[in-house]
Amino acid sequence: MSQVTTAAATKPSTAQPKREGGRYVLGWVLHNVVWIWLIALVIFFGLFNQFFFTTFNLQNIMVQATVLGMIGLAVALPLLVAEIDLSLPANLGFSSAIGALAYSDLGLPWFIAMLVGVAVATAIGFFNGLCITKLRMVSLIQTLSMMIILQGALLALTQGRTLTNLPDGYVWIGQAAIGGWPIMPVIFVVALILVAVILRRTVLGRSIYAVGGNPVASNSAGIRVDRIKIITYTIAGFLAGVGGFLLGSWQMAITSNQGSSYLLYAIAAPIIGGVSVFGGRGNVVGVLGGVMLLTVIQVGLAIVSVPSFYVGMIGGVMIFIAVAIDAIRVRYFA
Amino acid sequence: MTASSAAQPDQDPFILKVENLTKRYGATVALSDVSLSIRRGTIHGLLGENGAGKSTLVGLISGQRVPTEGAIFLDGAPIANVDVKAMEKAGVFLVTQEPMIIDHATAAENLMLGIWPSKNGFVNWRKLRDDAARMLEGTHIDPQALAGRLDAVARRKLNILRAMFGGGKVIILDEPTAALTVEDRAQLFAFMRQLKAQGVTFIFISHYNDEILEICDACSVLRDGVLAGGTEDVGSLTSEQLSELVLGRGLALFQRERRTFADEAPVVRVRNVENGHLAIPEFDLHAGEIVGFTGLPGAGAKELARALFGLVPSQGSIALEGQATRPLPADPRAAFDMGIAFLSDDRRRDGNIASMSIGENISLSSLAAVATSGFLKPEAEKALSQRYFQAMGIKAPSPATVVDKLSGGNQQKVCLGRVLATNPRLLILDEPTRGIDVGVKQDVLRIIDGLSKSGVSVIIVSTDTDEIVRAVDRVCIFENGAIRVQLSGEAITSERLRQGAEANA
Repeated sequence: MSQVTTAAATKPSTAQPKREGGRYVLGWVLHNVVWIWLIALVIFFGLFNQFFFTTFNLQNIMVQATVLGMIGLAVALPLLVAEIDLSLPANLGFSSAIGALAYSDLGLPWFIAMLVGVAVATAIGFFNGLCITKLRMVSLIQTLSMMIILQGALLALTQGRTLTNLPDGYVWIGQAAIGGWPIMPVIFVVALILVAVILRRTVLGRSIYAVGGNPVASNSAGIRVDRIKIITYTIAGFLAGVGGFLLGSWQMAITSNQGSSYLLYAIAAPIIGGVSVFGGRGNVVGVLGGVMLLTVIQVGLAIVSVPSFYVGMIGGVMIFIAVAIDAIRVRYFA
Repeated sequence: MTASSAAQPDQDPFILKVENLTKRYGATVALSDVSLSIRRGTIHGLLGENGAGKSTLVGLISGQRVPTEGAIFLDGAPIANVDVKAMEKAGVFLVTQEPMIIDHATAAENLMLGIWPSKNGFVNWRKLRDDAARMLEGTHIDPQALAGRLDAVARRKLNILRAMFGGGKVIILDEPTAALTVEDRAQLFAFMRQLKAQGVTFIFISHYNDEILEICDACSVLRDGVLAGGTEDVGSLTSEQLSELVLGRGLALFQRERRTFADEAPVVRVRNVENGHLAIPEFDLHAGEIVGFTGLPGAGAKELARALFGLVPSQGSIALEGQATRPLPADPRAAFDMGIAFLSDDRRRDGNIASMSIGENISLSSLAAVATSGFLKPEAEKALSQRYFQAMGIKAPSPATVVDKLSGGNQQKVCLGRVLATNPRLLILDEPTRGIDVGVKQDVLRIIDGLSKSGVSVIIVSTDTDEIVRAVDRVCIFENGAIRVQLSGEAITSERLRQGAEANA
């Protein structure tokens, strides 16, 4: 005899709209935490020292953000395909020295020499891409060793000296200003827009997100994964090369460890801005937010005259808080 | 006196009871007010469509998740605030859908995972090896073999054995037959009956009615997070009644009208395919024909499908109607460009990009068609996505929904949509309905059937005999990397397919 019973289907209760609303606001806040954190810090530093709100300081922040922005943008690209390139800051320093030496030792015109430097950076990015795809080297270790090689090569190339023999044309972009406003940040804005267009509007950009999201599925979907990764590393190398030129131009000098100090900030900036270290997530606006936040922390701590012994620690704690908030967002609101 | 309670003759006939169990995730209710009792020493089936709450329920019972409301009783004692480890100690084990196996550890080590024989924190390796060898007696599994090298059945068995020797009183099997052939399944069922005779209680999740009817004593059906019904006596049910309970409506199972293509010229000619696992001298396919590939794992069915799509480097040539004879595609991009499309058997591994939206997934293999010189045309892409979003009947608010949030069946429809959006002439589907519920399964088979009517040639790789009988015109049974038997028309029956390749050898 059949014993089938059919329970009355009770309707699953829908959640209370009030709690839903609060959750929505909290989700929105966490999604935009970089920007809220940025504004909060600006106000905080401004209250401590009125100088923070001056035009001069704003211009200073823009210039400082430019080089970090270029390198942060470069670092974001390999992260998007679920790889990493630690050699980019070293690449920035090394390639700019090549450019400078091409002018001073080979006698090339400064513009051509600068292009040689950028080309070298691009080629190094391409080579890194080849290593991690065709040789299946682990990107973390491969680019770590490349970083050490390039740092060493820069030291060997400069013999420990600081290159200051830079032509007027070379340093122009780093010094030029219109009505007091520096024009170097324009390069960063252009790069930002270009990368944004690539990521959002092109087949390449879509492929980058797909490869980062799931490389095996991307291959099955007809995306040539290795090719996308190589192109991504190559573009990253190019951006680092341009960043190297801008840094040299701005400082009017290339030291024997040029660029190295950017390593941690360059990796932190995109991650703070929401670029996932697991690939496939993140955008250019987030990178900009991360870059601005780190720059404001750096400049702000200097302006409120925190003793230099504490700057590193306090800056680190601020970055930690930003990353922790982002992790909470991903954990509960993704 | 807790030890004596198990020996009492008048012990509670129900080993496990859940009362008014509710689980909410934020605003979503995954499980609502479910109460059920599971009798000691029985196999209790748990049925429901994807997203009906089966996994949530067993997750709560096994201690993976904590219920929002309600209580669970094991042997009459309430259990609360426990984790997986504590539940395993109490005797409740969950064997998940994907075998939980550490590939680079040996079978013996996997067997003892988390229940290592140890003293003062040091693992007693000798005892581990001896115990494992004893457990694996009669299973043909080498205790020292690396788990990554074992086949699907062996991996599944390892998990069940681990549950059993870990002192499992209640073993929950979440779709254990998903990757198994008919023979393996019979073997697994025999194993389950043997354990049941020893007093082990099973909760058995499956999408297949015939499996529930074959092995279960009782069953419960979940629908939309609530208990839709159940029976203490599965024997009194028919397959149709089960389907009705699961779906809440009468369900017409799909059946293709088989065609014969004897007097037509083939439109796909495959010749001399060879790689390490295959040797296929020739294989032809007609326009609008659906061919089933079947065979034991490793026999060549899957391997040929993957070779044709360029996923495995292989010798051989292929000629599609109107194209010159060419070598097999070197990679999936080349295959798509030739008009060959492939749906993977594992949508999580290589089907979808879970972090991207439905629309972005659908257009992913056809980006060139919706772009000019590398720049995407948003309108064209949107139109393409929208078209297949609707054609596949994907249940989601819009194509902008992220794939991650969809149920398994809907994810499979997204994969299918992506593949179909490339306008293939040869469509290869590897286990297209694996792990999706019976309702969506009929949808998928209907979509494939409709496609074949527009002249697309289709290959379906499947180990589900019922699906093959219902969906194809011709069957190729593989053995040792070759097509051993071909059946068409009336000759395709479940009974014949269950005999496999041997019957004609």
